[in-house]
Amino acid sequence: MSRVLPYCAYLERDGLTLPHSGVEKSPVAVVQSGSVRLLWSEIPWPFQPEHLQQNAVEFHDVVHHVFRQTAVIPFRLLSTFEDAGLLKRFVAEHQVAMAADLDRLASYVQMESVIYTIAERPGPAASGTEYLRARAQQAGTIREHAERLSAAVADVGAEVRLRENKNGIRLFALVNRGAEHGFHDAITGVAVPNGVSRRISGPWPAAEFMSEEVKMPALVTRNE
Amino acid sequence: MQADLEPITIGGSSGDEVSLLEILDHVLNSGVVLHGSLVISLAGVDLVYLGLNVILTSVETALRNLEAGGVIEKRASK
Repeated sequence: MSRVLPYCAYLERDGLTLPHSGVEKSPVAVVQSGSVRLLWSEIPWPFQPEHLQQNAVEFHDVVHHVFRQTAVIPFRLLSTFEDAGLLKRFVAEHQVAMAADLDRLASYVQMESVIYTIAERPGPAASGTEYLRARAQQAGTIREHAERLSAAVADVGAEVRLRENKNGIRLFALVNRGAEHGFHDAITGVAVPNGVSRRISGPWPAAEFMSEEVKMPALVTRNE
Repeated sequence: MQADLEPITIGGSSGDEVSLLEILDHVLNSGVVLHGSLVISLAGVDLVYLGLNVILTSVETALRNLEAGGVIEKRASK
């Protein structure tokens, strides 16, 4: 049994090189609609959990092969279509929105910094009030640090967003391609407070900055 | 617009070893969401939205373990 796995969409232009194989060494094919091209493979189905790590790297390698050359709209591993016909209809129905996003994000990459606490949790003897106070203090420290980082990268990022999760805060910056080290320098120029750690990663496709229509498209359905 | 993109992954407690988990996090958690098509199947068992959340939670747990100094498989940055 097989399924169709989309990797990423991009705008056609001369000189782009494409990967030959993707997840589970499946050949990579191209579907096109207007100026939009989308890479996909027919892959064995279902996914095998023991292959997930390898599949993730293979998927990443396909997306980044194109992303190194131009802007892409990445799809997510594990999201599949039943067949190539449904994928082609999907691309045809969403190619205008995808082309607009790809054009808007053409000169940008996404850089990230994840900020999280490394402070020890209050001991079991701590009262509920002490525990909540300590957690609130940790959250406040992380939030304050994230806001300082946000201000620090304001000059190198065309747009900066903060998103809280249960582990801390994630900072996303839309940075000009080639200015990644400016982001890195801006982040590392801010001292890390006690009890806080952070990671910097990138460049990634600007997925956080895609339009909602592209990020969560209405799905085509099969005509019976 | 060809540019030589050099991956940057630093910080945390394990330096470059974070790369693989960053990749896992992004390929599962970043990009177009085909809502309505999130019927996925692992090992022959159909999973819907809840199943995907379970996978993502596993990745988050792995990231937390890494942040706590856990060891993960290393993948050299390209």
